[in-house]
Amino acid sequence: MTTLPETRDLAQRLLTYEANAGNTSEPVESTTLRVYEKLRQSLGELAGAAGFQSLASRALTLARSEVPSLSAVQVAADGNLQGMSTIGLPTDIEKDRVDEGGVILISRLLGLLLIFLGEALTMNLVRDVWPDAASDDGNSQDGRKT
Amino acid sequence: MSTQDKVKINKLPTGVSGLDEIVGGGLPEFSFNIIAGAPGSGKTTLAHQFVFANATPERPALYFTVLGESAIKMLRYQQQYTFFDPAKLPDSIRFINLSQVVLEKDLGAVLEEITKEVEKANPAVVVVDSFRTMVRKPESEMDLQSFIQRLALFLASWQATTFLIGEYAEEELRDNPIFTVADGLFWLRQTAERNSIVRKLQIIKLRGQASVPGLHTFRITEAGIQAFSRTFGLTARVRNPIGQRRLSFGIPELDKMLDGGVREGDSVLVAGSSGTGKSVLATQFIAEGIRKGEPGIVAVFEERPQAYAERATSLGLDLETPQKDGKLSILYLRPLDLSVDETMQSILDAVQKIGAKRLVIDSLAGFEMALSPGFRADFRESLYRMIFALTGIGVTILSTVEVDESFTEFPFSTYSISFLCDDIIRLRYVSIDGQLRKIMVVIKMRGGNHAKDIREYEITSEGVAILGKRLINYQGLITGIPVHSDRSAQEEEPSHDLETKKQT
Repeated sequence: MTTLPETRDLAQRLLTYEANAGNTSEPVESTTLRVYEKLRQSLGELAGAAGFQSLASRALTLARSEVPSLSAVQVAADGNLQGMSTIGLPTDIEKDRVDEGGVILISRLLGLLLIFLGEALTMNLVRDVWPDAASDDGNSQDGRKT
Repeated sequence: MSTQDKVKINKLPTGVSGLDEIVGGGLPEFSFNIIAGAPGSGKTTLAHQFVFANATPERPALYFTVLGESAIKMLRYQQQYTFFDPAKLPDSIRFINLSQVVLEKDLGAVLEEITKEVEKANPAVVVVDSFRTMVRKPESEMDLQSFIQRLALFLASWQATTFLIGEYAEEELRDNPIFTVADGLFWLRQTAERNSIVRKLQIIKLRGQASVPGLHTFRITEAGIQAFSRTFGLTARVRNPIGQRRLSFGIPELDKMLDGGVREGDSVLVAGSSGTGKSVLATQFIAEGIRKGEPGIVAVFEERPQAYAERATSLGLDLETPQKDGKLSILYLRPLDLSVDETMQSILDAVQKIGAKRLVIDSLAGFEMALSPGFRADFRESLYRMIFALTGIGVTILSTVEVDESFTEFPFSTYSISFLCDDIIRLRYVSIDGQLRKIMVVIKMRGGNHAKDIREYEITSEGVAILGKRLINYQGLITGIPVHSDRSAQEEEPSHDLETKKQT
């Protein structure tokens, strides 16, 4: 079972948005962490820390089957994502400042939300956190899709 | 204090079909309410319906989840209901999980968290689901009481209408100090009656306005909770004055027996054993109404609408065209596990939809059999309420009822419901001259001078046909086994029907 192209595209967009919104000198894994943290905050309010932790653990397990290097990453009891900095990054995507492991992990997390909450609620939740990045309207700034 | 000096309490829509009527027009704004009941009784769904009906981006709803059902699972299931509008999340409705605070801290911290969120969001509606799971130790009931009092004070000041949801068993209702704090107490019950589930709700208290007392049945469908008021939503309707108009059966001789016809707004019972023509009479009554421009409803329980219409066709009565024209609705009600109130609501909805003036219930026995066994005990009471409500708005009701033919008694109904009826027409078999013939008599007509005659009738290809004049040369007709008297032929004695009376 692989991630759906639509989910992957959404994850990619969120990561790209955060990458361009952040400091270009910061390590690429911090982009994934920023997206993850924002989702954690939003989902944590809805599902509680334990609820988010279980969802994130499931997403990480699913993501590891596609990106084995994620085996070094752990979801802590409080939902914190640990070990992202130890993952090696493929050079051909480094220029986009988005790493494959991050894309897969975030898309798995979004995929679980789609399964449990459906598209409407998931997109509402994402739009609430990223009002500009969530819609694929093609006229945004900051490096988002044009 | 004059009326204009009194504070006006706004009433908020509950979002639950039928519940506004039950609570007296809507839920009082800024009230502090408890929804109590056993697991699975529909507490969360009720709260969701209220939230979705009232939350706006300007005055949102805050839905605090504590321990118990996972918020994600709750949303997964609740969004299956048609009232659930995903567009309202998260701007108008925010779900906030407090389980961590409850697990790691005390009730004071929970109150602090709720306070913080309420002050930030300025919500119109606050729900805590489920507040009882916040207390995990028996000795903490006191803390819970204090918590609820402080919460109630705070939320009322912040102009929020509040629901606390809690799992409570029936016996916990008495002497529970928590309930004294609440302005409104909604109790949901769910019991199994043989093979059916019976759901009922009760407004145990509601400050500031009069709710409809008693237990109201409700159902959970894809539209959420649908409640059925014991007054069928007709309490606000002004009762029509007693009608003077007479409604014809389309059978001139019968109309004469009824002093010109059935009085508009009456409840008529046609009682007789199988095959005496009760349904034929009912069909003629409804068809005559349609012919005179009075829309009608036929609620059938023992045959399908198509068969009912075809049987009418065989009597030369067209029920197909008026159905297409929206002048007639034939309801086939075989709910099996529905409550009597719910079934009656279907009839009421149909009556109101086409503006029906005549209603036929064919038959009461079929009606009762179609109900869940658990609701049959309520049958007479609910029937009384429906007849009272419908006749009050001017609908004339004709119900048929099958009675066991006895040669020693002359019962009107096996249901002891004759007190519900203004008029009773009794049909029965009688053995005369080696033939099984049929006789008809008007037993009762409230406010009318009906004929006392016992008339023989036949069911012909054109329906019920009353034969000749009254039968005077037999005694004991109502026993079914009359004795031929020595009196001369019926024509020799003046008829006691009304026409004759008027002439003499």
